[in-house]
Amino acid sequence: MGPLIVNEIISSNTNLLIAFFIGIGFGFVLEANGFSSSRRLAGMFYGYDTTVLKVFFTAAITAGIGLLFLSLFGWIDLSFIYINPTFLWSAIGGGVIMGAGFILGGYCPGTSFCAAAIGKLDALAFIGGILIGIVIFMEGYPLWEGFFKAKYMGSPLLSDWLNMSRGLLAFLIAIVAIGMFWVGEWAEKKFARDDYEINQH
Amino acid sequence: MKPRLILASVILPLGLIIAAVPPNTTKAYKLTAEQLLNEVRENLQFIHPDQVADMLIQKDPSLQLIDVRSKAEFEKFSLPGAINVPLENLLSEDYEYDINQDVKLNVFYSNGSTDANEAWMITRQLGYKNNYVLQGGLNYWVETIMNPEKPASTSPNEEIAKYDFRKAAGSALGGGGGDIEPAATELDAPAAAPPVIKNKKKKRVQGGC
Repeated sequence: MGPLIVNEIISSNTNLLIAFFIGIGFGFVLEANGFSSSRRLAGMFYGYDTTVLKVFFTAAITAGIGLLFLSLFGWIDLSFIYINPTFLWSAIGGGVIMGAGFILGGYCPGTSFCAAAIGKLDALAFIGGILIGIVIFMEGYPLWEGFFKAKYMGSPLLSDWLNMSRGLLAFLIAIVAIGMFWVGEWAEKKFARDDYEINQH
Repeated sequence: MKPRLILASVILPLGLIIAAVPPNTTKAYKLTAEQLLNEVRENLQFIHPDQVADMLIQKDPSLQLIDVRSKAEFEKFSLPGAINVPLENLLSEDYEYDINQDVKLNVFYSNGSTDANEAWMITRQLGYKNNYVLQGGLNYWVETIMNPEKPASTSPNEEIAKYDFRKAAGSALGGGGGDIEPAATELDAPAAAPPVIKNKKKKRVQGGC
């Protein structure tokens, strides 16, 4: 039966409405997890706070295993799920730019809006930076069009590449994730800071 | 209990289950038996040879003829521009690109219409769009386009116009059409109404951070 919109069970307008509520839920969870604090986000890079890793990997393995179960029950056709196509060089370049911006600014694009919503001025500055970056990218597009479109790889899947079933890969990722959570909590003790308390308010 | 342990005790067993079961590769049928029966009863899948001939002559790029007979038969005779997809290979991945698409008007044909109808029914059930069947198959094609029967001189004008069109089309497409008057190709469009091409794009669900 799923995806709902492809099989015309709901209209695209209803889809937008649902997306609106999911967006509110997403923002709520981000804020509830303290993702509007740039110290918490930057803590990921220094090891004193690994909440980011835990939240996003929990979301990823929950969604991954959930989708596979829905597919198992015949409730969703996975071949209709959009998979972002891979342009290798722009993916690497974009990752470097985003990572550098993350360390410098203390936010990622989504959390900056979350922080701006609770009135943080540095987040507003960060959003200004995003807009400037968008303008530079668009206006200078002919300069990096070649790089942007280089090394198109379609939508490769890790499970195809490793030649294993999606379910097995999801299970292995879940094990790796829980291992990482353990390492993360160890790091939080090891790199703990006197002036920073996890889950502070 | 630590949240990490709670999470592990939920996620890991679920992950183990999903790793152990085979992936679901069955494709849900898109039509109920009743819907399909209605389409079959109303002959919605058929395209008349006159229309196919007209599209061929006009070199309509949206027409894609698909020969579902065996390769040997296809090599012996096929309609212009047709591709060969033997019925037993219908579901092979090599042809999915041609059959599951929303740009061209696919017309299946075989000698009669049984094999083509089977191909149509399977693809229709899979939810593929724009697949049709050449009415009567090649036998009827030869009968109507290649060797049209001259109507009696007392026939209505429409019949005579249709005959002239078929004669011209047959000759243009390599049949024994015989003498043609130059005006023949400018005659009215064939009787069969063009099918409504549904241009429903399969939207993929987009996502992102």
